[in-house]
Amino acid sequence: MRQHSLIMYGGKKLLTFILSVFILSVTVFYVARLAPGDPLVSYYGDRVEKMSPEERFLAEEKLGLHDPIHVQYVRWLSNAARGELGVSFKYKMDAAEVVAGRAGNTLLLGGVGFALLFVLSLLLGTLCAWREDSLMDRVICRVGTAASCIPEFWLSLVLILVFSVALRWLPSSGAYSIGREGGAADRIVHLILPMTVVVGSHLWYYAYMVRNRILEETRADYVLLARSKGLTRSAVLFRHCLRGVMPSYLSLMAVSVPHVLGGTYIVETVFSYPGLGTLSYESARYKDYDLLMLLCILSGALVILCSIIAQVINEKIDPRLRSGGEAESREVTEL
Amino acid sequence: MNERFALVGIRPQIPAELSCSKKWYTGKPVAAAVLLGIIVLGCLLGGVIAPGDPGYMDLENCGVGPCRAFLFGTDTMGRDIFAMIWHGGRASLFIGLASAALSTAIAILFGAVSGCAPGWLDGLLMRLTEILLSIPSLLAVVLLQAVLGEASALTISLVIGLTGWTGMAKIVRAEVRQLRSSEYVIAARCMGGGFFHILWRHLTPNFVSSIMFMAVMNVRNAIAAESTLSFMGIGLPLDVVSWGGMLSLSEKALLTKAWWIILIPGAFLVVTLLCITSLGDYLRKNVNRKESNL
Repeated sequence: MRQHSLIMYGGKKLLTFILSVFILSVTVFYVARLAPGDPLVSYYGDRVEKMSPEERFLAEEKLGLHDPIHVQYVRWLSNAARGELGVSFKYKMDAAEVVAGRAGNTLLLGGVGFALLFVLSLLLGTLCAWREDSLMDRVICRVGTAASCIPEFWLSLVLILVFSVALRWLPSSGAYSIGREGGAADRIVHLILPMTVVVGSHLWYYAYMVRNRILEETRADYVLLARSKGLTRSAVLFRHCLRGVMPSYLSLMAVSVPHVLGGTYIVETVFSYPGLGTLSYESARYKDYDLLMLLCILSGALVILCSIIAQVINEKIDPRLRSGGEAESREVTEL
Repeated sequence: MNERFALVGIRPQIPAELSCSKKWYTGKPVAAAVLLGIIVLGCLLGGVIAPGDPGYMDLENCGVGPCRAFLFGTDTMGRDIFAMIWHGGRASLFIGLASAALSTAIAILFGAVSGCAPGWLDGLLMRLTEILLSIPSLLAVVLLQAVLGEASALTISLVIGLTGWTGMAKIVRAEVRQLRSSEYVIAARCMGGGFFHILWRHLTPNFVSSIMFMAVMNVRNAIAAESTLSFMGIGLPLDVVSWGGMLSLSEKALLTKAWWIILIPGAFLVVTLLCITSLGDYLRKNVNRKESNL
């Protein structure tokens, strides 16, 4: 009986996921096709201007640009179902191939950045809460608030200015030096600055939430009980309070994925890092529909997946939230 | 429990610290308010502080560092950065305010509709916001802008406003759901009050304090978003001066080591954002007033 309900639960979530991605794809497809701009230019380049109207018509016909949008969408969908995700007009390659070539880089930057962010903000938040209102806490709070106000792109610029232009310690762009594509040390050197921005620009936002959640937790009655029982401060904090904070922290971090992803995209464009961010920026600028669709749906699907994970955490892992889940999700967005 | 139901009617006032020794300014972001005031005033009076056309390209003085003639130096196109800061601030601040106003309006309307709607519609609308939220905002902005065509301060505000309302809408919805079955709302409805009447007269006054902080933060986020877009070259056109647009020349500035082109407009941007954040933080209700049990 229990297994049955679990399958039902999973199925429901899966259905939500598929439906959401479907609606997302329809929206993106329509908006992208309604946008003015000439996809022929990105496919044929400058030759478009020399084309006669008949040639132009034929070229558009060949790319299927004359059919109504919903026909184009159905064609795209049925192709996608067969694994053909379209052709990148600009790269003249399978869109999936173009994305696959770049995805690793973004995964490295975003994934490691996210993991660092996850650990560091928990540490920093706990540290601040542990020594609440001490000089250290206040200094970190001030510095953190100031740091979280700095836009990612400017932080990147300043870091480039200091560490690559003035000090010449670190490279300012790319993911590897030319001719040394494989070297791990080279990759790491190129990752330091972008990673600093990805982590640094989000760190305080989440650390501050951890801090406040823990401070809220320390006001609970069980803390008083544990203290009067003779447990030490750190024992109560790490064994009890942190545990109480964990579920909401996990769901918060699941929700944070779009922010980190968006940040990664911006950082990539500033550092000319060959990842999905630069790719989506290019494809949007050059009206590379199929590529843009794929990128939007990929990042959208990831985000939807994460928000479903956050819901599951809220509903299943933390028994306190089964009845009051609404209040909790409100808090996550509010803070 | 108390927390949730205390929202109905008047929010309980946290008693002010009862000590006469504290000055009136303790706990208030005076420095931030003054600094922000100076920047806003300077931008409004841009023509007085820095007379002359900020777009004028003095080709003999390209990339000159800060000196007496050009207080903040000139950029790679020979424009006076001092003049551009004060004129460009207008565009940045205008976009910040306009898009925050737009996103707040959408959020209140959408949240209220969703909060008052029957369960299935509410679920549908909330799912919809989640889907909208799942499009990376950078892509959403690029897409929208392609639809709206030629970029101007107005279309940029529109685009940023249209992409930044979902978080607030969720809060409005949660608040409205708690408020909608309270007696005074039912009474107003029985007397034939329309949706907008109830929203404006009865609901908004009750949740306005909880979204005030977010509204201020929206201004901040919009200014940051505009500068990011303009920096990437997909925001305001080049001839419209804004703080972010000034930074879009940074690529050349990095090559010539012209630090002032990057640091000065950025410093103004960051200081403005920081001031707005401190003001917003002040508006947020102080949650940790109770003594710690730890």
